[in-house]
Amino acid sequence: MKVKDLMTTQVEHITPTTTTKEAAHIMHDQHLGVLPVIEDNKLVGMITDRDICCKVVATGHSAGFTKVEEVMSKNVATCFDDQNIGDATKLMIDHHVRRLAVIDHNNAVVGLLSVDDLARNSHDMASSVLEASTQAH
Amino acid sequence: MKVQDIMSRNVQTIKPTSSLRAAARTFSDLNVGALPVVDDGKLVGIITDRDVSVYAIAIGREPQSTDVKVVMSKEVFTCNADQSLAEAAEIMEQHNIRRLAVVNGSDEVVGILTVDDIARVSHELAGGVLEAAIAIH
Repeated sequence: MKVKDLMTTQVEHITPTTTTKEAAHIMHDQHLGVLPVIEDNKLVGMITDRDICCKVVATGHSAGFTKVEEVMSKNVATCFDDQNIGDATKLMIDHHVRRLAVIDHNNAVVGLLSVDDLARNSHDMASSVLEASTQAH
Repeated sequence: MKVQDIMSRNVQTIKPTSSLRAAARTFSDLNVGALPVVDDGKLVGIITDRDVSVYAIAIGREPQSTDVKVVMSKEVFTCNADQSLAEAAEIMEQHNIRRLAVVNGSDEVVGILTVDDIARVSHELAGGVLEAAIAIH
């Protein structure tokens, strides 16, 4: 089984200079927890609902005046769409993450792979990712 | 195996009248994604990192001047500490969620049980919960 067989292909994305307020609106309207951040067709980061919680709301900054690039993660864990699901699972475990941005060999973002997607294929793989998680609850 | 064998104990709670910013700071400081909301010793809601960021911003609320009770979920799904893990996993699956507040007979919070906790002891049960969960990519 390959990553492209399980990934979500409808991927909304956002630019680094968009405000986190706009990012929150997109996440709410599209029911998303993460947005790949793209500049000049290249993946430059990822922003999550938790980034907006911990780096904007918690610090007292205004979401309307805080740009995505100020709070996004720049070290993004990625995998290729033609990689095996087992490799992708290992990447999630090693990086303690529950989602990977999926890229093709031209470095274009073509999907997202989450631990929920893994669960549809293998309860064992998905649970191994949860076990490696570092969040308390 | 029972809920009490693997749940998180000594769970930090928050008041319905606390500000969203205070909640966000707690999420960040404690590295958690959800807090039970407790009033007069009783569980009245649950609030997540997503509620204080994406949801609050989407409905146009200022984190500093908005109370937890405005964005929390009032419908909280619970289990008891002496229930079996299979029963708890079943409750999560039925309601498409990943966490339960653990309460005693007086509606006092005695713990939190997450799908991550379940994954440490049963990949099969945790995988089933993830498959049923409402996917937020």
